[in-house]
Amino acid sequence: MSTSFTKSTARNIFYGGAVFFFLLFVALTFDTVQALPKRDNRANLTEQVARGKNLWEVNNCIGCHTLLGEGAYFAPELGNVYQRRGPEFIKAWIKAQPTGAPGRRQMPNFHLTDAQIDDLVAFLKYSSQINTNNWPPNIEG
Amino acid sequence: MTSLASAAGRQTTPSAANVQLKYRSQVVAKPYFTAAIGLFVGQIIFGLVMGLQYVIGDFLFPAIPFNVARMVHTNLLIVWLLFGFMGAGYYLIPEESERELHSPKLAIATFWVFLVAGALTIVGYLAVPYATLAQMTGNDLLPTMGREFLEQPTITKIGIVLVALSFLFNLSMTVLKGRKTSISMVMMLGLWGLAIFFLFSFYNPHNLVLDKYFWWWVVHLWVEGVWELIMGAMLAFVLVKVTGVDREVIEKWLYVIIAMTLITGIIGTGHHYFWIGTPAYWQVWGSAFSALEPIPFFMMTLFAFNMVNKRRREHPNKAAVLWALGTGVMSFLGAGVWGFLHTLAPVNYLTHGTQITASHGHMAFYGAYAMVVMTMISYAMPLMRGREANSNRAQVVEMWSFWLMTIAMVFITLFLTAAGILQVWMQRMGDTPLSFMATQDKLAFFYWLREGAGVVFFIGLLLYIISFFVGKDEAR
Amino acid sequence: MSHPMPATPRRVPGDLAMWFFILAELAVFSLLFAACVYARLQQPQLFARQQAGLPLWPALANTVLLLSGSAAVFNACCAYAAGRGQAGRRWLLACLLCGSGFVLLKGHELGALFAAGINLSSNSFWMFYLSLAGFHYLHVLLGMVIVAAVWWRAGQGAYAANHDGVETVAAYWHMVDLVWLVLFALLYTAR
Repeated sequence: MSTSFTKSTARNIFYGGAVFFFLLFVALTFDTVQALPKRDNRANLTEQVARGKNLWEVNNCIGCHTLLGEGAYFAPELGNVYQRRGPEFIKAWIKAQPTGAPGRRQMPNFHLTDAQIDDLVAFLKYSSQINTNNWPPNIEG
Repeated sequence: MTSLASAAGRQTTPSAANVQLKYRSQVVAKPYFTAAIGLFVGQIIFGLVMGLQYVIGDFLFPAIPFNVARMVHTNLLIVWLLFGFMGAGYYLIPEESERELHSPKLAIATFWVFLVAGALTIVGYLAVPYATLAQMTGNDLLPTMGREFLEQPTITKIGIVLVALSFLFNLSMTVLKGRKTSISMVMMLGLWGLAIFFLFSFYNPHNLVLDKYFWWWVVHLWVEGVWELIMGAMLAFVLVKVTGVDREVIEKWLYVIIAMTLITGIIGTGHHYFWIGTPAYWQVWGSAFSALEPIPFFMMTLFAFNMVNKRRREHPNKAAVLWALGTGVMSFLGAGVWGFLHTLAPVNYLTHGTQITASHGHMAFYGAYAMVVMTMISYAMPLMRGREANSNRAQVVEMWSFWLMTIAMVFITLFLTAAGILQVWMQRMGDTPLSFMATQDKLAFFYWLREGAGVVFFIGLLLYIISFFVGKDEAR
Repeated sequence: MSHPMPATPRRVPGDLAMWFFILAELAVFSLLFAACVYARLQQPQLFARQQAGLPLWPALANTVLLLSGSAAVFNACCAYAAGRGQAGRRWLLACLLCGSGFVLLKGHELGALFAAGINLSSNSFWMFYLSLAGFHYLHVLLGMVIVAAVWWRAGQGAYAANHDGVETVAAYWHMVDLVWLVLFALLYTAR
């Protein structure tokens, strides 16, 4: 059984396939961006939430925690921590760090002001109301 | 090894001519490869620190908190792979184009800029709190920091873009003026894609879903997209050289394999869009396409073995052949099999964000990218040092390092997989799920085993470095 | 491209690279079909209700158009094999005409759905309907681009000595048809 197999056809399929599927990806991206307003909780995306997101970033929280399942896997998921623990617990917890318990994983104290902690909690509240298709499976994250 | 850069600078001197190199400017790859290996050592040291912090939580706290160690570990990985890709580009593009590099001086200058910028960034991570680093580097003007793998200060990101542009200019000029082969075209396409998709790292909207959506345009379209083109081109180049198989055959298979990569991998991005606020249809699209992502990796394995079996010459560099075959197998296992393990939406619902992800990440990055860079180094470094292959003794040490690192990585992956399965079971599947930290405590045994495997990996890496200094006198 | 292929009976038509592409496409469609069947079993009433509202006649017309396209591209292969390049080129044009008919008819149908506000997030049925039909629609477009490219190259006499390129595009077009037949059965007629 023989067949032809030429480099030029293989090359054309590579370039054609790449362009075809990239355009399809762009089309799906366009649809996703259109669909997001109903899902991404942007109605509650306030100035305070934006400040909170910035604090989340400049303290590299993602370096230990996950948020909607993405990040490091060293510390608990925080996408649903607002429901799991509630705002007051979160604030007290951040202020109480590090625990200093010997041998236990330690979270640094980031020396945030009360207003900054409020911003961060607002961000976590906003994140917790994004429609994630029911992920995580339970409250433990 | 100490005067690499100056050796590259001396290349205009006739007495420095290297009979093994077709084009003298190829030697600029040497400092890139040397830096890559050096940074690799740093990456593994911080990996060992993190592994210990998993079981002794307050190890090195507060001097090096886990998030800092992880940032150093992952950023060093990215930077050393970039050094490896750049070295590979500087080495193979002149040879493929059949002419000297457009500007060796620019290549050396770019090397030092990249190395110093990279080193300063790492020092910044370690010396000051991350928030201070953000403030010092003007993150408020254009906030891009604090997202996984993209933790670099904005000015470092701009520096990376400039370094990439200088590198791409240098190589593109070389290709444009010289012979255009399929290998050099695929390599250039991959490298340009790498630079273009990195630009999405500058897009950081307040909207978390949009942020995450386009974050993957850097991360996924790199490692499951354009990097695979770079990997394919590097592997094809080495296979052409060490097997002597007709270039036409290798190049058409290269095209078919990378066609499969992009056909499955581009829409396969959807497997990251299951639970981050994006529409539910991604569960179907992402699952269907990413389920096929192992195919190109499997084809790459068959390709490497077939080409070596059909070899028309016995290349004296057996170690390079071993690395090439190892890349095929380990990338299929790590990226293909371990990726498939948790890529279907119903499975991923339970495994998303657990140690399963970590296990896949480790073997995939080692098997696909770390190993392909070491394949290239193993092939090119002896030539740049003036011999067709290292002495037998040196090659034996290098092969020992191959097996130690590879087997250690298999065990790291297996232990993390075991930890991940138990984590899913305890934290997500029962009627009375345990909390995250309670689950972690129960997994300590597997984290200890992982750390042990990590130490073996480090020994393998040290042996790898030793192999560069073995048997110099016996070299032909 | 200049070496003549021996006309052995046991020969895979077209280029091997295209067969890899075809197999990958069929694999993706198979997985999407399987997911659709699973969703249908989960929500039988929704699927039955929505399916009853689909217009059957345009779908039948589209089936005829695509199969005619297949017949045309098959005739093109035969014509080139017999050395009748002029006729072959006309058959390729006929295939393009059939494809255009499909694109217009199906495009009209999909456009009406979008205009009615139906999209991928409407419900499970429409998600699968639009995903499968839309993805297939793009394949017909891609097939037409390839046929057009072959037609153009044929005009330059590229297939005088060797018509592998025509067989390659024919294989692709048949694959697009095959997918349509399964899709038609699954979305329009399955009970």
